Formats: sequence, structure tokens, C-alpha cells
Amino acid sequence: MNRISKLMRNHHKYLAGANNNKVVALVMSSAIATEQAFSIYYLSECAVTLEFGQSINLQLLDAVSAYNQLLHQQPFHGFNTAIPAYTTLTVLFDPVVVSQADLSGATCFDKVSNYLQRLNQHQKELKETTATRIAIPVCYGSDYGPDLQEVADLHRLSIEEVIEIHSQAVYKVYMIGFVPGFAYLGGLDERLETPRKSSPRKKVPAGSVGIAGMQTGIYPMQTPGGWQLIGRTPVKLFDVNRAQPSLLKAGDEIMFTPITEKEFIDFNVDLNVFNRF
Amino acid sequence: MQLTIIKPGLLSTVQDLGRRGYLSQAVPVSGAMDTLSARIANIVLGNDENAAVIEFTYADSEFKADTDLLIAYAGEGAILTINDRKLPAERPVFIPKDKVIKLINSHIGSRTYLAIAGGFNVPEILGSRSTFITAGFGGLEGRALKAGDVLLGYDLSVVSQKILTQLSGNEVFFTSWSIPITLLLPVDRKRIRVVPAHEFNWFNGQAVVDFLSEPFTIGTQSNRMGYQLQGPALNRLVKDELLSTAVMPGTIQVTGEGSMILLMADCQTTGGYPRIAQVVAVDLPLCAQLKPGDAIYFTEITQHEAEILYLEREQELRRLQMAVQYKFL
Repeated sequence: MNRISKLMRNHHKYLAGANNNKVVALVMSSAIATEQAFSIYYLSECAVTLEFGQSINLQLLDAVSAYNQLLHQQPFHGFNTAIPAYTTLTVLFDPVVVSQADLSGATCFDKVSNYLQRLNQHQKELKETTATRIAIPVCYGSDYGPDLQEVADLHRLSIEEVIEIHSQAVYKVYMIGFVPGFAYLGGLDERLETPRKSSPRKKVPAGSVGIAGMQTGIYPMQTPGGWQLIGRTPVKLFDVNRAQPSLLKAGDEIMFTPITEKEFIDFNVDLNVFNRF
Repeated sequence: MQLTIIKPGLLSTVQDLGRRGYLSQAVPVSGAMDTLSARIANIVLGNDENAAVIEFTYADSEFKADTDLLIAYAGEGAILTINDRKLPAERPVFIPKDKVIKLINSHIGSRTYLAIAGGFNVPEILGSRSTFITAGFGGLEGRALKAGDVLLGYDLSVVSQKILTQLSGNEVFFTSWSIPITLLLPVDRKRIRVVPAHEFNWFNGQAVVDFLSEPFTIGTQSNRMGYQLQGPALNRLVKDELLSTAVMPGTIQVTGEGSMILLMADCQTTGGYPRIAQVVAVDLPLCAQLKPGDAIYFTEITQHEAEILYLEREQELRRLQMAVQYKFL
């Protein structure tokens, strides 16, 4: 994931330079976002990928999300599911159903591609969707965040300052990948950019909140990992018993709320009244 | 019907044809690695082809029939035996209560699929009965099978019931007919057909030539998530970074050092390595039977040819399924 952090860094430079001409370009692309151009390529017999651009930015995230929503409102015969990523939306389908569907084109690839292009042209104004904002309680430091001191020392900050910087930012979920429920987040303050640990831990507990390069994220389940661990959340990021097993989805905004160790231990969440605001 | 695992072997899991509804939440497809064998084992029994089966890895497993069983198996990881007598594959086999079935090495492939009439009764999680061990859900309690596990079957379909009536008695008994999978497979099973992937042109001429002519060996670091492919390093002309995007079982990624990873059933849903090719769906079952040390070659076909192969395979399986039903209805 090293290269992601590099890209994330570029992305933040991009956003940081929001006072120059680039802003104009951003505003314009947002104005035409209702008919966003994309190219389509073959992924497998059962999937095509729509590519909306080449860089990580909020406008592309919106374009991918908007089109994904449109496709779910107006699916074609044989449509299975769609996987959003930074700049792409991958559309899965059943070739047997598509081959018999009343869609123009000689092959399944053509039929699906034609439909997806036409859907884009006929797209009506999409309703503005407001991002879901979720507060994630985090117990910073001690056994929950064994690398907090190291991160603070590296940046010549106090532990309190690291917590403050980390918990004051609003983070955007760009995509879910890697393991079930893992969110790729944008929005880490540059002051907290920290290299990975030189050797990864064999076991990182579920809920651990870490930093790697310009990324911050939460481990949904116990896996090996090389991120600097600064805290842990008692919230389950992934739970097969929920209607939406992954707590987060692309487009969501999250914030981290510091909690004490006692609050961590006492934490007993009813997800229906979960901290959404 | 009920059986008890006596010896689980290297890795035995309950699988169906996979889980596709939660890919956007990074839940992998999972499911049988060799979907063709799993489907044939179900089809010959009159089961839904998506019914849950047990995927055994190599041999060294044993289970006991707690009740009379109607089973079928397919795949080339092992041969099922009772008291050293081999049971024929790819057809319904009746096994009376209390028999012990042992898997012995076939020395051909790596995975064997056991279906029972009705399909194994495990809860459906996120739309599938497949085991995904990393996240600990699906199959039997989200884990590999272990000694003492008891597995039950669902009620039998009308076709399964008729097959059972025809075969049941006091002895092991099986049909004279079968559906030989070899008839559905290409003659050269080490030649894997691929469609060039989106980043194919990122690789230099030598890499493309090597990829389509040199043998690649399955490495020891290979599992249900993916295979390491050992061979010449594949170097790139375009050194761009790829932003993580969706990948599928069958996607061949090339790492920074130029080595290849063939993604399999439990692979991550997104990846950031450039992709040189996509194994055609009908050849993925061949890959599922490969063992570390096996050498394969890649042959390029067009995406249109891959699609035709896919549709023909589905049509053929539909025909076979109907043939079994007509036989008994």
C-alpha cells in the first residue's frame, strides 16, 4: 500500500493548493458531473470496468458514487453488483442472462457497454446526496495504541497533540477494499504522516486505528499489519449480522472521537442509534 | 443424511459457488476453487448446482457415514475409498450407514469435491454457504473442518429421492452412468487460456513474449487467495502507479519485482498491481487443480472467444442437468 500513500500525499497537495487555478477546474468538473465521461474496459466474462479518471479526488469519488446510484436505480437485465474504487466502477453481470437480454450489441461486452453508455447520456439531474457522517469512538494510546508515543516523538508533538490533530479532521471514505469493511480514507493531516513500522506485526487486533504514510485507517478484523497503531475502537467495522455488514461505504465521512479506557470497556453499541449526525 | 469428519486433512471447507452480493464491502467471492467439479458433483445427484459441498485439499481425510448416504464426488485431489476399494467419481454412489470413507492420493490434482444428496446444511451467510476463513464466517462456523464435526444434509429433491430409491440397499452401490469431466476439458490441461488485461500494454515486448511462451511454475506460497507464479520477471515500459481497482479470481497481477500472482477464489476484491491478463473462466477450474511445482503455459485468446467458451460451457452444463432430470422424472 506504499504507492497509495504516495498518491494520497499528492492528492492532499492538490487539495492544499486550493487557491490557484486548479480550483476552477474542480468547480467546472463538478458542474458537468451529471454526465460524467468514462471509458469501459473488459475485466472478465462477467465484468466490465468503467474508468472515470486517473487521479484520487473528491470529484471523481462523487462521479463514481452518482453513477453507481443511477445504475442501481436502473439496472439492466442480468446486472449482479457493482464495485466502486478510487476512479472506477466495476459492473458485474450474468453473461447467460445478458446474452438473452433485449440489449443492443453482438456480444455481452457490447450489450453491457452500450447500456451503460446510454444510461449515462440519459441521466437526469441526480438529487444531491448528503454524505453520511459517522463518529467513531477511539481509545488512544496505552495497550490500545502501542505506537502513539513513537508517532508523537517522531513529529515532536505531545501525545495530546497527536490525538487532537487526528480527532479533529473529517475523513472521506474513498473505497472499501483489502479485507471486508476496510475503508481507504483521505484527509489525514500532513503533520501526522508517518512511515510504516519497519517490520509488520503478526497480529493486529480488530478495531486498531493506525497510520501509514498519508493514510489512516481501521483494521476491521485481526490481521497481520505494519501500520503505526495509535488507538482502538470498540465499534465493529464489519459484522455479518448487520443488513450492511460493512459499517462504512464509499462516500461516507468519518470523525474519530476520543474515549477513555473505561468507556472503551463499557462500550455497548446499539447500531440503530449509533452516533450518526 | 449425516456424516462425521474423522480426519479433516490439510484443508477441508464447506463451499458453494460463491458470494457476489458484498464485493463492494470487500467481501471476497470465495466458493469452490474448481467450480466445475463442484457443479458436476451436485448435478449427478439431482442437487441444485449451487448446493454446498466439501472441498478437500489433497488426500488424508476420513469421514464416517452416520446414516445411509447418497454422495457424489469430483475433482482430482484424491480418490474416495471404502476398505481400500475405490469408489467411482462423477456419479451417484450409495453408501450404507457406518461405513468409513478414506481419501487416498490421486497424484493428479489438488482438490476434491464431495456432494451429498440435498446439499450440506450450513447457514447461508451474506447470500452464500461458502467458508471465508480470514473473516471467520460462512460454511461450518466460519472455519476449516476438524475431527468430530457433524454435517447434515437438507431434504432431497425429487430427482435425488429417485436416485436413492434405485441405489439403496445393504451394500455400496452406484450407477453405471457418470458425467466424466474430462469430456468437458481441453486435452492439454497445462495450457491456460487468457485474455489480455487492461494494463497488458504497460509491459515491454520481452515480457509479453515471455508471458505467452515460457513455462510458469506454481510456487509454494499458493493458497485459496492466489498462486505465486515463478518464471521470468516481467518488466514494464509504463511505470505508472495503478490506483486500486476491482480484481477478480483469474486476474494475473504483476508485482513491482516483476513476479506474477494469479488471484483465486478468496482473493481481495481490489488490487493495485498492474494486471497483465485475465484467465478465462472456463480454465479457472484447471488452475484450481494445480499443485506447487506444476508448470503451466499461457495462450492468448480474444475476449469474444472467452465469452463464447463461457456461454457454451453454461449451455453444456444446463444440458447435462436436464439429462439427469429426464432420466429420473
